[in-house]
Amino acid sequence: MPVYVDISRCIGCRSCEVACKRVHGGKGHVNVHMAGDHASVPVFCHHCEEATCTMACFTGALYKDGERTAFDVEKCTGCGLCRLACPFGVVWSDKIAHKCDLCAGRETPTCILSCPANALSTDFELASRRARTRAAMAVAYGGRR
Amino acid sequence: MPQVLVPTVCPYCGAGCQFFISVEKERATGIEYMPEHPASEGALCSKGNASLEVIYHQDRLRYPLKKTGDGWARISWDEAMDLIVRGLGGALKKFGPERVGFLSSSKCTNEENYLIEKMARCLGSKNIDNCARLCHAPSVVGLNRTLGAAGMTNPIPDLANSKCVFIIGSNLAENHAILSRWIHRAKDSGAVVIVADPRMTHTAWMADIFLQLKPGTDVALLDGLAHVIIKEGLIDRDYIAKWTRGYDELVEAVRDYSPEKVSEITGVPAEDIVRAARAYAISPASVILYSMGITQHSTGTDNVQAVANLALICGHLGKPGSGVMPLRGQNNVQGACDMGALAEFYPGYKKADDPGTAKFFSSGWNVSSLPVGRGLTATEMIDSAASGDIKAMYIVGEDPANSDPSSNHTRDALEKLDFLVVQDIFMTATVQLADVVLPAAVWAEKEGTYTSTERRVQWSQKAVSPPGEALSDLEIVCDVANHLGLDFDYPNAAAVLAEINRLVPQYGGITRPRLDGMGLIWPCPNEDHPGTPILHIGGFKLQDSRASIVPVQYRPAAEDASWDYPFVLTTGRVAVHHNAGSMTRRSPSLIERDPELFMEINTADAARLKIADGDEVLVTSPRGETSARARLTDKVKRGVVFMPFHFPGTNNLTSEVTDPEAKIPEFKVSACKISRRD
Repeated sequence: MPVYVDISRCIGCRSCEVACKRVHGGKGHVNVHMAGDHASVPVFCHHCEEATCTMACFTGALYKDGERTAFDVEKCTGCGLCRLACPFGVVWSDKIAHKCDLCAGRETPTCILSCPANALSTDFELASRRARTRAAMAVAYGGRR
Repeated sequence: MPQVLVPTVCPYCGAGCQFFISVEKERATGIEYMPEHPASEGALCSKGNASLEVIYHQDRLRYPLKKTGDGWARISWDEAMDLIVRGLGGALKKFGPERVGFLSSSKCTNEENYLIEKMARCLGSKNIDNCARLCHAPSVVGLNRTLGAAGMTNPIPDLANSKCVFIIGSNLAENHAILSRWIHRAKDSGAVVIVADPRMTHTAWMADIFLQLKPGTDVALLDGLAHVIIKEGLIDRDYIAKWTRGYDELVEAVRDYSPEKVSEITGVPAEDIVRAARAYAISPASVILYSMGITQHSTGTDNVQAVANLALICGHLGKPGSGVMPLRGQNNVQGACDMGALAEFYPGYKKADDPGTAKFFSSGWNVSSLPVGRGLTATEMIDSAASGDIKAMYIVGEDPANSDPSSNHTRDALEKLDFLVVQDIFMTATVQLADVVLPAAVWAEKEGTYTSTERRVQWSQKAVSPPGEALSDLEIVCDVANHLGLDFDYPNAAAVLAEINRLVPQYGGITRPRLDGMGLIWPCPNEDHPGTPILHIGGFKLQDSRASIVPVQYRPAAEDASWDYPFVLTTGRVAVHHNAGSMTRRSPSLIERDPELFMEINTADAARLKIADGDEVLVTSPRGETSARARLTDKVKRGVVFMPFHFPGTNNLTSEVTDPEAKIPEFKVSACKISRRD
């Protein structure tokens, strides 16, 4: 259950970045990238099914807990192999590793609640459902002009 | 330790988002969202999320200060009041109240603004203004004249009911971020989104039709749209006949604004003008959102009137999803204006030049006489300070030395004052020039009401105590007023609100007990009234209930690119900063995301000037110069450059030319030249 992004809605306001940092003691896990002049993309932990970070982690600090890629700070040695293993560059480390924990202890991840544009959700289908609605409504109202 | 959740209103923009501050051991430790909030649904932008960083910042002013030969000396509140009595009171006596100026704060609560207004008027001064002068003064003038009311006509969530959203001169995606959720919702139900802006902003990403116009050509574009709508017969004849006057004059006035001619002036392709005009006119419910890109021009009032004209001829007013929505920049700029902190108004937009107004308030305030007539505006006060006509000023929570155009001139003017007292939370550029500094509380350290851009009046609770000896603005203003010989006996904000209920008809029913929760939208004349989310249903508050169509003609901006200054500089905001930046530039998680002043320049222009991305450039205008980091982009067209105004420097360059009626400076168009600094 990672956080999914509706790219058509992201407005590059960086609310998710700041909100994530706020609730994780100043160590955020979201990066909003400006894709040229035309779009912005927040890059999150994908909570991969076959998570390479967990494979690289020799102490088992990173492990799969159902759909979630979880992290046990007690076991982390700060070696940084997870950072090298992550194909999306979203695990980082200083003395220990830092990655998205889907806001453990909270019902909904903070970035989703905070997003002013409703671009984030845990619903994989949401973006395409919205696109279909838009297409249907545009036809009903005479095209997008 | 028990954790208490205290509801407060966000201190940044005018959207009016609320959130809870969690308080443990009398310290603000975190933010919790408020999903039940009608406008934000719990969302917060980056600034709102970082707002607590301001409360405990090391730079907070903690004690009253006085200027000494070599810096600042900490003084007691008593000594500060003595100095104010001598300085401000002395100037009032020696030179008269007409030579003393007051700047109120659109960051302060309604109650505080009301008291500052009352203090200035009761001391006999007409010179009271607030920074609305620099953002929406043309809306106050233009919308009052055309529609009879100067607020947003519809509430924010109503955007979702719109079938055409026309955004002109507003980068709301970055500056009023939560509005984008409503616009996207409208889009998902089939709405067309039109964005007109000189920059390809984040807001423009939402657009179906993007009109990239040359800065300062808004009237031409809007008249061009009206031309197409009239020519193609897309007007709402019944609405025009029933609710408006002046339509025939408009037909005459826009006759020459053919899409081809407008295309030449604005740089927008003629076919896009036609598409936009049709989309706006034929949709069953269209809304226009605008902001500083419309107002901060020497033609600001004309721009606003042209916007209103468009809505009126299409009948897109007074129903769900249809309206004219000026987006306010500060959390309480709407309220500061409502409370009369404007040179031309008493509280409740009662005209200052009407003797009846002075009579009404002198009996309400129990004083023998009050000044009649319009005072000096914020920009005029600075000019009068420079010429020596204004001798002393009391500035509350504003930073004109940074936010006014031509900063060098503003600083010189403030330095010339005999006495300047500034009340603020940080040592801003303006505080640096003060004789006496009064430390004030931030939003979380006081209570009171704020009025958001949608006219929603919300109560914000006190979460924590101010640092050191800092006090709430309400306490300070009462203290100053009492020392200057007035009788201000208000134990708390609720007592002031009770007086506002009595004297400001729009706020008549917005009483303290009704404000627990999500607030009320004015006008709300009595305690049984539910508030008025949508204005202009069944007519206008003007003669015969009819709105006025006021035709306007395109006038070029005061400055244009020239041989010596070949670029047009336009200014604006970025997502992680707010206005003059005294708060956001001190907020670690915001400043690290946009750390310095930059200038966006078209890649082709940059190549010609041999400027690479990240180079330091020197930007020079006839008024001053500043350094900035170049950002190469195709967001701006050739010949146009953009700089945010959150950093000192940008306003060294901007033009002091003002709109003849609203007196707003033309921040959005100034000529400049650029060279690489090495």
